[in-house]
Amino acid sequence: MGEAPLLEIKGLGKRFAARQGREPSPWVIQGLSFSVQPGEFLTIVGPSGAGKSTLLNMIAQIDTVSEGEIVFNGEALASRDARALRPGCGRRIGYVTQDDNLLPWRTTFDNVLFPIEVQGRLDAETRAHAEMLVGAVGLAGFERYYPHELSGGMRKRAALIRTLAYDPPVILMDEPFAAVDAQTRAQLQADLLRLWNLKRKTIIFVTHDITEAIALGDRALVLSRQPARIAAEHTIPIPRPRKVEDIFAVEGFATVYERIRAAIQ
Amino acid sequence: MMRWRTYTDRLIVLAVILAAWQVGSFLVGPYWLSSPGAVAARFCAQIWNGELIRHGGYTVEEALIGTLVGGVPAVLLPFLLRRHPVMVAILDPFMVGGYGAPKLAFAPLFILWFGIGIESKIALVAGVVFFIVYFNALSGVRALDPRLVQMAQIAGAGERHVARHVVLPAAVPHILAGFRIAVPYAIGGAIIAELISSNRGLGYLVQTGAMNFDTTSVFSAILAATLIVHAANWLLNAAERTLLRWRPPAQAMLDAEN
Repeated sequence: MGEAPLLEIKGLGKRFAARQGREPSPWVIQGLSFSVQPGEFLTIVGPSGAGKSTLLNMIAQIDTVSEGEIVFNGEALASRDARALRPGCGRRIGYVTQDDNLLPWRTTFDNVLFPIEVQGRLDAETRAHAEMLVGAVGLAGFERYYPHELSGGMRKRAALIRTLAYDPPVILMDEPFAAVDAQTRAQLQADLLRLWNLKRKTIIFVTHDITEAIALGDRALVLSRQPARIAAEHTIPIPRPRKVEDIFAVEGFATVYERIRAAIQ
Repeated sequence: MMRWRTYTDRLIVLAVILAAWQVGSFLVGPYWLSSPGAVAARFCAQIWNGELIRHGGYTVEEALIGTLVGGVPAVLLPFLLRRHPVMVAILDPFMVGGYGAPKLAFAPLFILWFGIGIESKIALVAGVVFFIVYFNALSGVRALDPRLVQMAQIAGAGERHVARHVVLPAAVPHILAGFRIAVPYAIGGAIIAELISSNRGLGYLVQTGAMNFDTTSVFSAILAATLIVHAANWLLNAAERTLLRWRPPAQAMLDAEN
């Protein structure tokens, strides 16, 4: 990987500011550094409460950093001051959050089109692309349903393709499949890998599920307990295309799994 | 089946009320308390000769214009102040004061200022409607899920898009609830102002009826006002069904029953 990294995290630290009658929080994240190559699928595993969401919120520019810097495409993001934050960094960083955050008053398809619409890019081509994505994740026929009429798995799919549809170069994913049952999760993972194969975007995928981190990623970072920093880094030697359902059986899986598990302890 | 049962039960309740009224009228004498039969006959006659239509029309006009004059700024203000919580905090005690003040007591003052024409009635209705709708719209803007706003901003939505596509639709149920509460007050406010001084409207009919010891005429005008409130509620329900199609049915039904 001789290319310049697309995203660099340098000595990142976060503590929440003092409020009335309260001290500032202890450091949630401290001295965290890593970089991401263009087109890489990076997974980040860490125990619950390790500050994984906080990390993604800072990269997505919806939360301030307390220390260190975030360099995106060679440009250091101004992210100390809440008023200087530019959420999504000018549409270049997409974010699939843990909650689907679909707009309840818009139908499935109108939710998928929402980013394209507010960006003023709605035309025959972007619409056709969105329709293709709706079909690719099995939501065809549900375009005109409202979010409350969809199952949990369908809502996740809609949220996922809403971000894919406007095509940001980097996509952050915060345990997007955590709240669905195991079978649906395997299906969603397979959908995601298939879509990623079509167009190799840069993805940072956070999870607490070691199997998921191995099944999806090119490389897995392991976060330590608070304050979070990188405890270990593993390149995942499993060739693509991968079959998510029987990832356990693949050679090399057990070794990586054991190493990551040991690093989390 | 459920519906039929409800309708028949409603008819029974209506019959009980009318019977009690009839008995009461018989006991104290129709001079003091008119009978339901006489009121119904007078009501039909006044509809037929256009008297109720004309006076009811004036009252509806006053209530409608007053609702718009008071309601539109009440909806806009929380939106404009959304990004200025300090302003909302500064205004709060005054808004609470305005909400709590007995606005009907201002009626004589408004008549003094604006005359006995439509302007004084509009002013009173607007004053009553404004505070009710303001607090509902404000709670709608406050109840907004900040995660939806963040999602929209990350997706590239500017301030205008956020207001139009996220804040407004989220506040619509609250705004409609505000108008639903405000409508009877709007009609009531218009009638009170007419009672005090006017030469037309349902309040004027009530006033002249009472002065002439004609309780039948008083009840006939009150019946008309009640039917107007019912019609306005029906319109609001229809608007809600269209505007809030997206809500889960359980939630929508709960609201419709209130």
